[in-house]
Amino acid sequence: MNNALIEFRGVSKSYRKGSEVVDAAANVDLRIQERGMVAIVGPSGSGKSTLLHMMGAMDRPTRGEVLVAGEAVNRLSSGELTRFRRKTVGFVFQTFNLIPNLTALENVALPMEFNGVSAAERSARAKALLVRFQLGHRLKHRPRELSGGEMQRVAIARAVANEPRLVLADEPTGNLDSRSGKLIYELLQEVSRERTVIVVTHAEELAKLADRVIHIRDGQLVEDPNSAIRLASNTL
Amino acid sequence: MGMIILGLRNLLRNKVRLALVAILIGIPFFLLLAMYSIGDAMQRQTKIMNENVNTVVQLRGRGSMGHVNMVGQDRLLPQDTLEKVRGIEHVEHAEPYLLAMAPITPPNFVMHVGLATNAVKRLESHGEAGNPRIIAGRDFMPEDAGQDVAIIGQGYAKWAGITPAQIGDATITIDPTRTHPAIYGMDRPKRELRIIGMYASGYIFGDLQLFMPIETFRSIYGTDQGISWLFVKVDSVENVPLVAQRLRETVGDVADILVPESAAVFTATTSETVTQLTSVGGILAVTLMVIVVFFVLLMMVRERAREIGTLKAIGASNGGVTAQFLTEAVALTLLGGVLGLLLFRGVGEMVTGRLFALSIGPFLPSHYKPLFESLAINNNLSASALALVLVIAVLAAMIGSAYGVWQAVKLSPLEAMKHE
Ligand SMILES: Nc1ncnc2c1ncn2[C@@H]1O[C@H](COP(=O)(O)OP(=O)(O)OP(=O)(O)O)[C@@H](O)[C@H]1O
Ligand SMILES: [Mg+2]
Repeated sequence: MNNALIEFRGVSKSYRKGSEVVDAAANVDLRIQERGMVAIVGPSGSGKSTLLHMMGAMDRPTRGEVLVAGEAVNRLSSGELTRFRRKTVGFVFQTFNLIPNLTALENVALPMEFNGVSAAERSARAKALLVRFQLGHRLKHRPRELSGGEMQRVAIARAVANEPRLVLADEPTGNLDSRSGKLIYELLQEVSRERTVIVVTHAEELAKLADRVIHIRDGQLVEDPNSAIRLASNTL
Repeated sequence: MGMIILGLRNLLRNKVRLALVAILIGIPFFLLLAMYSIGDAMQRQTKIMNENVNTVVQLRGRGSMGHVNMVGQDRLLPQDTLEKVRGIEHVEHAEPYLLAMAPITPPNFVMHVGLATNAVKRLESHGEAGNPRIIAGRDFMPEDAGQDVAIIGQGYAKWAGITPAQIGDATITIDPTRTHPAIYGMDRPKRELRIIGMYASGYIFGDLQLFMPIETFRSIYGTDQGISWLFVKVDSVENVPLVAQRLRETVGDVADILVPESAAVFTATTSETVTQLTSVGGILAVTLMVIVVFFVLLMMVRERAREIGTLKAIGASNGGVTAQFLTEAVALTLLGGVLGLLLFRGVGEMVTGRLFALSIGPFLPSHYKPLFESLAINNNLSASALALVLVIAVLAAMIGSAYGVWQAVKLSPLEAMKHE
């Protein structure tokens, strides 16, 4: 019970729009265990991305405490956040966000470089990852020379390059056709055997592959009777 | 290390922009070099003035202008003044000049000057400037002594209808009988002189003179005795007062003695003015460079907002991202610097002269302008000067870029991505 990878305690995130205040997350309590795939689903604007960003230290909560791998992320200094992003978490974006003038291999090696891995080792590891993701023939290609599905596979390889305990993906198949999307689901599922993968998705299929589904509406968790594992906040 | 290489690779992302930015940075860099070289030339000019001008004392016949044919102004220095002056200690040499006025239309005057072929060509009321630039033909040679040859100012030549291309063949007729309310005619035959050279001083009156060998002058005007102007060169600035004192003692009864105080004052104030103006110009150039770099970097930061956010999200430190952009800024500046330097090597001499005339000239008293026509702009700057200018430019680039980059880098990855 105490060794959750992620724990949200009374987390809120508010945005001010003129005089109006929008609660993108409203007093969320949440626990997510180590390993496995968790899907976050909900209508547009319900706060899925907001939740994911706070887990990955991409954004700070307005109130409450975000604990990831035992660290209170919301209280880390800028330097500690950099270390956290290097070692603990990997991000996969809907728009891939590869560095355009670097090759696939270099894109995957980049986070390892930030992490101080030697040039020879990071090159070998990046290559092994890309081969494993069926991109052995695309090592020297630049992003614009890759298809969307290929770009997203490179992005997933980059996200797991430093072997983080947590991988976060925000609508990773949103810009892909269903066939490429399926490959990405399978890849994420494979990756989730060794670590926790949290996916924000509209895709039913991806949600079905998840070990757990978290439903969100108006910045709040809603109970999902179909979910295999009941929401942690409800089991407390 | 890695971020620096990434920064350098980013340079090549957009080659058109790279070229544009290099030009944008190259131009202020060029201006900076130009300002520096003007300041440098001015300092050398000042040194030359101190060595050559401030050590020259001028003598004229008492109460006269010394022109052989001007009404009431025909009193010349006695010929033996020359020997007396040459005998004074610390006098390096003394150069005699003879002057005559001639009328031209529209009512105006030109001045005919007789001088030793190796003497400094002095311009009326700007004797300190000396030796205007020969723009066509050649200068006097020792063999020209006593020959019927002359070097003409471009203003005079224009009036006489002589073009630079005709120099060497063209002649001008000296007619001592020609008169004017201020000039009395001399009953002497005309003489044709061949024009061997044309000079330009850069101001109207300076260009209305005609130089001829002094022996030729004497035979034309029949003045075998006497001196209009005697320029006395003292061996050092310190000895000028002493020599002036001795001159007063020996020839004070026949000569007005003009000690180069005014030239010294001119040199000090003008070189100060030019130094100040070039500093201002230099600061403006640096400011321009900072602004260019600042906006270019701001543009790049905006354009790559999403990339900055991504880099941060995958673990780049703030310092790392900043280093990447600063590397790009510094490399761009160096590239612009190389471009500016090439430009300076190529057209620096010409453009700097123009630049000087346009930017600094207007701030100087009009009669000082000819001096700067002769200002030798050195487009071959020393390595240390170049290094200094480069360091200033790179610092400017870093200051210019640091702000914009930091604005984006300090944000959270999510905010950084939206910083477009
Ligand atoms: N930077 C911001 N400023 C103001 N409001 C914001 C900001 N970011 C998000 N919001 C608001 O917070 C709410 C939740 O946004 P969020 O992006 O988390 O939704 P989402 O569930 O991911 O939606 P989608 O499925 O469309 O991506 C929305 O109402 C949104 O308008
Ligand atoms: Mg979203």
